[in-house]
Amino acid sequence: MSEFETQTQLDKYVTFKSGNEYFGLKIEYVNEIIVYQEITEIPESEDYIKGLINLRGKIIPVIDVRIRFKQEPIEYNDRTCIIVINVKDTVVGLIVEKIAEVVEIKQDDILPPPSATIGHEEKTQNKYVYGIGKVGENVKLLLDPDRLLKDEELNLLDQATEENEEEGE
Amino acid sequence: MSAEFNTQGMLDIYLFENGQLLERLQEIVLEQKDDDCFDDDSINEIFRAMHTIKGSSGVMMFDEITRISHKLEDVFFYLRESKPDNVPHLELVEHVLQVVDFISSEMIKIQEGGQPDGDASDYVTALDQFLDKIKNGKGEKGKEIKENVHVEPEQFYIAPMATSASHFYKIYLTFHPDVQLANVHAYKTVYALKEMAEDLLHYPEDIISDESTAEEILENGFKILLQAQCSEQDLRGVIQEGYELKKVDIYECTAKEFQQGFDSIGSEIRIDLESSVEEIESKTDGGGMMFIAPDVSVEAPKEAEKKAIAPGDFVIESKEPGKGKKLVKDKPKKMEKAALISVDVHKMDMLMDLIGELVIAESVVLQNQDLKVPGLRLDNFNKAAGQMTKISTDLQNVIMSMRMMPLTNTFQKMNRIVFDVSRKLGKEIEFEMVGEHTEVDKNIIEHISDPMMHLVRNSVDHGIEMPDERAAAGKTEKGKVTLSAKTESGKVWITVQDNGKGLNRQKILAKARKQGLLDPYKMDNDYTDKEVYQFITLPGFSTNEKVTEYSGRGVGMDVVVSNLQSIGGSLEIESTPGKGSQMIMKIPLTLAIIDGIVMEVGKSSFVIETGVVKEFIGMRSDMMQSDPDGSEFVMIRGECYPVLRIGEWYQLNDYKSDLDNGMLVLIEVEKKMICLFVDRLVGKQEIVVKPIPDYIKKVKGLSGCTQLGDGSIALILDAAGLIE
Repeated sequence: MSEFETQTQLDKYVTFKSGNEYFGLKIEYVNEIIVYQEITEIPESEDYIKGLINLRGKIIPVIDVRIRFKQEPIEYNDRTCIIVINVKDTVVGLIVEKIAEVVEIKQDDILPPPSATIGHEEKTQNKYVYGIGKVGENVKLLLDPDRLLKDEELNLLDQATEENEEEGE
Repeated sequence: MSAEFNTQGMLDIYLFENGQLLERLQEIVLEQKDDDCFDDDSINEIFRAMHTIKGSSGVMMFDEITRISHKLEDVFFYLRESKPDNVPHLELVEHVLQVVDFISSEMIKIQEGGQPDGDASDYVTALDQFLDKIKNGKGEKGKEIKENVHVEPEQFYIAPMATSASHFYKIYLTFHPDVQLANVHAYKTVYALKEMAEDLLHYPEDIISDESTAEEILENGFKILLQAQCSEQDLRGVIQEGYELKKVDIYECTAKEFQQGFDSIGSEIRIDLESSVEEIESKTDGGGMMFIAPDVSVEAPKEAEKKAIAPGDFVIESKEPGKGKKLVKDKPKKMEKAALISVDVHKMDMLMDLIGELVIAESVVLQNQDLKVPGLRLDNFNKAAGQMTKISTDLQNVIMSMRMMPLTNTFQKMNRIVFDVSRKLGKEIEFEMVGEHTEVDKNIIEHISDPMMHLVRNSVDHGIEMPDERAAAGKTEKGKVTLSAKTESGKVWITVQDNGKGLNRQKILAKARKQGLLDPYKMDNDYTDKEVYQFITLPGFSTNEKVTEYSGRGVGMDVVVSNLQSIGGSLEIESTPGKGSQMIMKIPLTLAIIDGIVMEVGKSSFVIETGVVKEFIGMRSDMMQSDPDGSEFVMIRGECYPVLRIGEWYQLNDYKSDLDNGMLVLIEVEKKMICLFVDRLVGKQEIVVKPIPDYIKKVKGLSGCTQLGDGSIALILDAAGLIE
């Protein structure tokens, strides 16, 4: 019984809407979902890093998923939510347009992402999508939170430090 | 049998305690390194420290550490017992330091999860030779001493080589009830018996250090288990009934009885006969308390006689692997000083965080919008609020003081470095410490230890000249390095000063020129001393022609500076050629809570440390001047200061610059002044500093963030970064 439960926990995904697609995040990464709150800007940071929020005394950075996916930014409204995720001890908030639901996607229903030839937009998303989950008639793009946070960021950081070093010399 | 029985906890305690002992040891040794010999107290203390380390290492089965500490213990045992007067003191000091180093390095290995695999043989041989040397010099036979490997012979004597000729005795001593200091009398008896004993145990065991045992001895008698080759008559000869001793009962028993005969409920100590003395001792440290249980006396002599058992007597077992050890293990040793407890740093940090949040929550409540209704009577609320503010301020002060630690330990380490380096280099150096009791936040101490070490090494290696050079320059042959600490204007100033040759301006300039650091159109003389000295803090800059073991590779000063900057500190260099140089580290007292000025720019809030703010100036647009390349400055009382518009600097989204309604904040860092242009000043407040999450890359001029009274977040400006 308990094994069965753990199993179901494993296959659960929090889904949210961004643009026209639905995305899924493994539930184990999700700490909590909070309503949108005032964000303090951080100067000189990436455009998708919106700033800092105060989560009950903990200060955490938030990123806008739409901007991250190179979609047009939209005004935040009362449906805007922040999904607080914890990836390898980095706690980050994701601003999403709308939270959908928690769904169960069996391992067998997850397909590898399509190859990156379809179009430009798909291509940018592909970096973060590790699989496509089928839920009834719909599909959810399953996100790899690690890549969502790091990827580019790391490269940029590396570049930045290289530049600094060059300057230093 | 669980070999893994909570070993991590054990290990932590082991590392912590021995770390402290080693530190203390080093302190003693360095304090007296210049004397002719150690005084009695120090010898005793070193001896005890080594003994404890040996014991606990034995329990943890770190054999090499056990071996080397055992050896050093032997040496000090000899020193203590024989008081030889021909000991080459410096050599001894070096030996002790070597051992300390060896054990420390082994402990680091253990801490990092490795095995202590170092080989102590060299040191052991060296110590053996040393011991032989001092013994032979005295012309005394060292045999007896060598056997007395255990440290506190006044308490135990175990030589587990039972021969068939041995007799086993149980001895019960009853003292006159009006005898004073019965424990001392008991000890006299034990001491006498020790001469003939092969194995001796007694109860109560802690008769020397624990005076309360005196009463117990009077009440329940004093019990001795003895293994010896002598007859009962001989024993009677040694222990005679007399003024203090009312009754002496000696019973002979068999080896078997001796080994396992005593048993009692819950208060026995099991001792593995083949294990070492220390185990018994470490055991009794924790276990001693149990014997003072009130019901002990109820078990009365009658029963003791019948069963030939008394509560609290020892049960001695033959070797059964693991068992004895396991029992020893789960008793944490008592702390050296009862008034101190050691707390996990993480717990302290957690407490600190919580108090930080409490401070914030408090301001959320007290500045709550709901209270700002006009006409609301808040007298009682304000009274209560005042009380609460007072308590939370006290709480803050207490937690801050808990985190404060004196610099003493860090300074002691420097003493050691001076000693080592100067001896290796053949320089004679006097090391002076001033103000080592200055207290600094623990986090900061961790950060300044390395920079301090670099500076001290530099002083010894580069600063102080060789004795002949010094003599030629008309100075005393003995150089002097002074390490001092003081608190000034909210910062700690740590100064490393030497009376050596000072920095060589020409050499530095030449090197800087070679490395292309100088402006080719500027003359050497255009650079101030301060600018010149700053060059040595650049990476890869060393004027030392030859690389020594300690310095000269050009790494160091830049590390010093970057380490200091990371905690908001700075380094100042002063030097007088031929007279010596002085390195001043200026470090904030604490990182956790600062006094800050809250400012607003557009919708964002910023905070700057109160200490750097010189003055506030109301802004009028006609004050602002700008030069052709766009940089702006203001004239204030005839002085000209550059202006930094925070809003533009950070390209805040909703920022509109409005010159007529802004404020200028004049800040000063290291004599450089700059004006910050902000929209509004909000107020002065205690700020709990929180780091900007790692996820966001470092932004220039920001040192952290904090939460304001209304729950919003403000960014903390780093004055030094802004001026840069």
